Amino acid sequence: MHEIIRQLEEKREKARLGGGQKRIDSQHTKGKLTARERIELLLDDGSFEEWDMFKEHRCTDFGMASEKVPGDGVVIGYGTINGRLVFVFSQDFTVLGGSLSETHAEKICKVMDQAMKVGAPVIGLNDSGGARIQEGVASLGGYADVFQRNVMASGVVPQISLIMGPCAGGAVYSPAMTDFIFMVKDSSYMFVTGPEVVKTVTHEDVTAEELGGAMTHSSKSGVADLAFENDVEALMVIRRMMSFIPGSNREKPPMLPCIDPADRLDMSLDTLVPDNTNQPYDMKELIIKMVDDSDFFELQPDYAKNIIIGFGRMEGSPVGIVANQPLVLAGCLDIKSSIKAARFVRFCDAFNIPVVTLVDVPGFMPGTAQEYGGIIKHGAKLLYAYAECTVPKVTVITRKAYGGAYDVMSSKHLRGDVNLAWPTAEIAVMGPKGAVEIIFREEKNNPEKIAEREAEYKAKFANPFVAGARGFIDDVIMPHETRKRVCRSLAMLKDKELQNPWRKHGNIPL
Amino acid sequence: MFKKILIANRGEIACRVIKTAQKMGIKTVAVYSEADKRALFVALADEAVCIGPAASAQSYLMADKIIAACKQTGAEAVHPGYGFLSENADFSRRLEEEGIKFIGPKHYSIAKMGDKIESKKLALDAKVNTIPGHNEAISGPDEAVKIAQGIGYPVMIKASAGGGGKGLRVAFNDKEAHEGFSSCVSEAKNAFGDDRVFIEKYVLEPRHIEIQLLGDSHGNYVYLNERDCSIQRRHQKVIEEAPSPFVDPAMRKAMGEQAVALARAVNYESAGTVEFVVGADKSFYFLEMNTRLQVEHPVTEYITGVDLVEQMIRVAYGEKLSFSQADVKLDGWSMECRINAEDPFRGFLPSTGRLVRFDPPAEREDVRVDTGVYDGGEISMFYDSMIAKLIVHGKDRDDAIQKMRDALNEFVIRGISSNIPFQAALLQHPRFCSGNFNTGFMVEEYPDGFDASMVPHDDPALLASVATFARMRYIERAVQISGQMAGHGRSVKKDLVVLMAGGRYPVSVEAIDGGMRIRQGDKVYDIVSDWTFRDLLFKGTVNGTPICLQIERRGLCYHISHFGLQVQPMVMTEVAASLLERMPEKLPPDLSKYLLSPMPGLLREVAVQPGQEVKAGEKLAVIEAMKMENVLKAEQDCVVKKVVAHPGASLTVDEIIIEFE
Repeated sequence: MHEIIRQLEEKREKARLGGGQKRIDSQHTKGKLTARERIELLLDDGSFEEWDMFKEHRCTDFGMASEKVPGDGVVIGYGTINGRLVFVFSQDFTVLGGSLSETHAEKICKVMDQAMKVGAPVIGLNDSGGARIQEGVASLGGYADVFQRNVMASGVVPQISLIMGPCAGGAVYSPAMTDFIFMVKDSSYMFVTGPEVVKTVTHEDVTAEELGGAMTHSSKSGVADLAFENDVEALMVIRRMMSFIPGSNREKPPMLPCIDPADRLDMSLDTLVPDNTNQPYDMKELIIKMVDDSDFFELQPDYAKNIIIGFGRMEGSPVGIVANQPLVLAGCLDIKSSIKAARFVRFCDAFNIPVVTLVDVPGFMPGTAQEYGGIIKHGAKLLYAYAECTVPKVTVITRKAYGGAYDVMSSKHLRGDVNLAWPTAEIAVMGPKGAVEIIFREEKNNPEKIAEREAEYKAKFANPFVAGARGFIDDVIMPHETRKRVCRSLAMLKDKELQNPWRKHGNIPL
Repeated sequence: MFKKILIANRGEIACRVIKTAQKMGIKTVAVYSEADKRALFVALADEAVCIGPAASAQSYLMADKIIAACKQTGAEAVHPGYGFLSENADFSRRLEEEGIKFIGPKHYSIAKMGDKIESKKLALDAKVNTIPGHNEAISGPDEAVKIAQGIGYPVMIKASAGGGGKGLRVAFNDKEAHEGFSSCVSEAKNAFGDDRVFIEKYVLEPRHIEIQLLGDSHGNYVYLNERDCSIQRRHQKVIEEAPSPFVDPAMRKAMGEQAVALARAVNYESAGTVEFVVGADKSFYFLEMNTRLQVEHPVTEYITGVDLVEQMIRVAYGEKLSFSQADVKLDGWSMECRINAEDPFRGFLPSTGRLVRFDPPAEREDVRVDTGVYDGGEISMFYDSMIAKLIVHGKDRDDAIQKMRDALNEFVIRGISSNIPFQAALLQHPRFCSGNFNTGFMVEEYPDGFDASMVPHDDPALLASVATFARMRYIERAVQISGQMAGHGRSVKKDLVVLMAGGRYPVSVEAIDGGMRIRQGDKVYDIVSDWTFRDLLFKGTVNGTPICLQIERRGLCYHISHFGLQVQPMVMTEVAASLLERMPEKLPPDLSKYLLSPMPGLLREVAVQPGQEVKAGEKLAVIEAMKMENVLKAEQDCVVKKVVAHPGASLTVDEIIIEFE
C-alpha cells in the first residue's frame, strides 16, 4: 500500500512536469502557459478533477516505446467556472509537441462523451503540433473520432475552442465544428496548409501569423470569434463568457441577480438617430445602454463590422443580440455579415437564448463581388436561421428596414414575437429616391415632379405607420423606453413554446 | 418689466439668460441655426426661430434675421450674450431704431470702447492708469533709447502692424533698446511692409485682473469687485476666480473707482468689464473694456450675490440700480473652470461628436453648472469648444479649490474628450494653489505641453483599493449564478493583486459593515459604498472620508479617473498576476502604411493633408456608399505621406486612399 502511494506520487509528479522543465521553460519563453497553468486560470480555484493522468500511448514504432509521458500530451477532466460544471481538455505542447496520438484522442473523447451525458460544456485548449506521425493512421483515426463527437455534441452542449498554439492541417476541423473559436495573438495560428506548402503551391510568401494568426482569423476570415493579447487574458475572458451560456440544450441559460432596474429609462437615446437619414450613428451605444449594467460581450468585433453580435443580459437572463451597425457600410447585409449573424442566431436558438434584434438596414449590398460570391445563398442563411429559430425573438427597428433585408431581420413574418419600432423607423421596399425612380419612371426627366413624388413617398413610407397598420410591428416605442419594453417583452415570452415540424434536419443553404 | 425678450446667442449663455428671464417671469425667444435644432437652449426657450445655416456668419451674426425674429415674435428686447453681436455698435443702434431694447450698453459706449486708440484716450482723460508709452513715430534708435528711459525699463518695442510674436522686442536697458528698435523696424518692414514702431512699458509677471461694473441709465455706477483670469492657455482663459489672490482692499478700491470713472466717461449702461494688466509691483494699467457680459461672470455673482443678467435686463428696461457701492458684498471665494470639448492629452485638439454621456455634478448651493449641452447631445464643429462652466463657491480660496476638485471628480463626460484632467491637474499645482502666478503660468509650468504624466495623485494605492472593491462586487455577484453544482460552489480568494501603471499592489479583502476593508501591507482602506455595476460614479467613504471617482469596467481593466489621473488597474489572483507578468510585452502592431477603401463608393472628402500628423480616431476620409456617409478614422497615430485618391473619385474595395509615412 505504502509503496503504491509512493509510486502514485512519483507518477503524478512526472505527469505534472509533462515534457520536462526544459520544455516548460521553452513554452514560457514563447509567451505561452503550460497546459496545467491554463486549466488553473480557467477553472475555479481547486475545482479541477483530472482524469487519465496516467494514460500512456501504445505506440512502439520509431522508438516511441521509450518516449512515454503519463497523460500523453493532453490534460483532461472537469471543474467549475463560478460553480458551474465544465469539461476541459488542454493539450500539452511540452509533450511531443502536443501531438495527437490515438490515446490522446481517446482522452478527448472521454470528456466529450461524459459532457454529453451530463449536459455540460466542453472547453478545448488547443496547443498541438498536429498528428502523432509515428502512429500514422491510428492518429488520423483519433482525429476523426473527435470530429464525430464534435458533430454529435453540436447543439447539445456548448463547445468552446481556445487556440493557444499551433493548430494546423486536419486538426483545425475539430475547433471549426465547435461553437466558438478564440485565439491568442502572436502565439497561435490555424491553417489547413502552412506557409511552406503555400509557397510551393501558390508561390505566395506569407508568415504563419499572416496566414493563420489571431488577427487574420478574427478580422479577415471570420474563423475566430475573438483575439486575445495573451493566455491570461484569454482564459479570464472565457470565464466571463461562460456566464452567458447554459450547460446544454436541456437547460435555460444561467441567471445572475440583477440590480439594474428593468424600467430604467435613458433619455439620451432619443437623440441617437440623427436627423439626416444618411448620417450614421453607433448602434453599440443602444446596446450598451439597453442591456443590464451596460455589460455587452461582443463576438467577432473586428469581422463584418456592419453587423454586431454578442451576449448581454436583460433582467439577469442572457440574450443574444444581433444588430445592424450603420457606422459600417451603412449597416447593410453582405455575405460576411449574413454568415456571421446566421451562425450566432442558430447558436442562441440551439441553447435557449432569446434573440434581440436591432434593425437599421438599408438592404443587401449590391455589386459583382457580392453576387459572384453567392450573396443569394449566404444571405439566405440568415433568413433561414431567423425563420427556423424558436426561442423568444424581440425586434426593435430604429431606422431603416428596407426591402428583403427587412424581412430577414427577425421580422414579424419570420415569427418575430414582439416587433417594436422607434418613431424614426422607415419600413419600406426601398429608400424614397430609388422607389420613385422606378414607380414614376416616365417622369424621370422632370426633376421637380420627381422631388414631389419623393416627398410623397417619404411621407407615406418613411414612418412606422404603414407597417403598424398591418400589424407587422406591434407598437411604436420611444427610444428612451427601449430597455423597459424589451425587458417586458422577454418577461412575457419567458415560457414561450414553439416547435418546428419533425424532420431529420433542415437543409440550410450552406 | 419686459413681457418677452429674445436671446441672440446660443449654447450655455443662451441657457443662462433664459434661466434668469424665467425667474423674472419674462417669456423667452431663442434664435438658432440649423446645426442647433436639437440644442438645449432651443428646448428651454418659450419660442424658437431658425435664422439660418450652421455657419455663424449666416445665422448668429445676421442682425437682419434677428430683428425680423423679434418682430415676428413680439420680443421687446434682445440679450446678446457674449461674442457674436454682443459688442456690435451697429446692432445696438439698429435695435434702438427699430424700437427694440438692447440688453447691453448704448451703441456709442460700445463704439468708443471698441476703438483701441479712443478708449485709451478716454481712459487717460478719466485718470485711469494706462500703460506708459509713446505712440508717435520714432525717428531712430537714439530717440528710442531716450523714450525708453523716459518710460522706465523694461520696455516693449512693438511694430504697429505686429502680431503673432513678430515685430516684438523687450528691452531691459539702453543697449537692448537700441538694438531692439533697429531689429524691430527691419523685421516689421519685412514682415508687414510697415515699419512704424512704438514703445511702451513692459509689465513684468503680468496678471490679468478685471473689474466687473454695472451702470444704469440714471447715472448710477457700482463696481462688483475683481476677477483674476491670469490662468490662460494661448490667450484663452482656463480658470477664473473672484476675488483675486493678488488684490488687496486698497487696490480693489482704486481699480474699481478707475473702472467706474471710465464707464462714466462713456455714459455706460449695463454690465461691463474693465480689464487691467497688473504687474508684480501691484501697478495696474487699463487694457480694454468689454462692453458685454463676460463668460466668467458667475464667479462675481457668487461672491456678490448679484444676478448680473437680471441687472442687465432691469437697466435695459430703464430701472435704477437698486443698490449702491456700499451694498456690494465680497463673500467668500468663487472659482470657475471652463469645460472644453478638447483632448488635453493630444495637444488640446478639439473633440466633436455625440455626448454619449453628459452628467455634470448636481447643482447645489456652492456648485453651479452653466451648460448648453445635454446627455445625448451633439458637439458640432461649427462653434466654440466650451460646453460647460463649472463654478464653485467656497468660504476661502482653499475651500473653493477643494470644492472644485471634488466637483470635477463628479463630472461625467463620455463620447468626446474634455479638458477635465487638465483642470484637475492645475487645481493641484502647488503654484496655482499658492496663488502666485501670472499670465505666463502655462508657458512656464508646461513648456512642452501637457501629458498624462503631469497629473499627480497623492495616493495611487487608494485607486488600487477601489478597483479591488469593484472587482469583489463583481465576484460576489458572479458566484450567485444559477446552475451551479450543488455544494461545490466557487471559493472566493480574499488575497488579490492589483496591477496598475506598471506597479503591483497585493491586497487582502475582508467584509466590514456596508463595505470592505482592503489591506495593502500596513495600509488599511475601509471602503464603504453602495456602488453598483452600472454606476460611472463611485461614491462612498474611505476611512470615513468621502470619496468620489469615476470607474468603468472595460475588458479586464477598471478605468478609473480621480483628480484628473486616469489609471486602468486589473485585479486578479496572485497566481494569475504572476502568470500575467510572465506574458511578453506586446509592441503596438506595425503601422499599416495605407488607408484602403473598405467598400466601393464615392470618395466624398479627404480630411487630411500630406505631412499632417494624425491621431488615432481622427477622421481621415469620408466615403459615400449606399447613399450613406462612412467616416474612415485613423486606427493609430500616424503621419500622412500622400493623399492618393481625391474627393469625387469612385473607389473600389481596397483602393488606396491615403499613404502614411
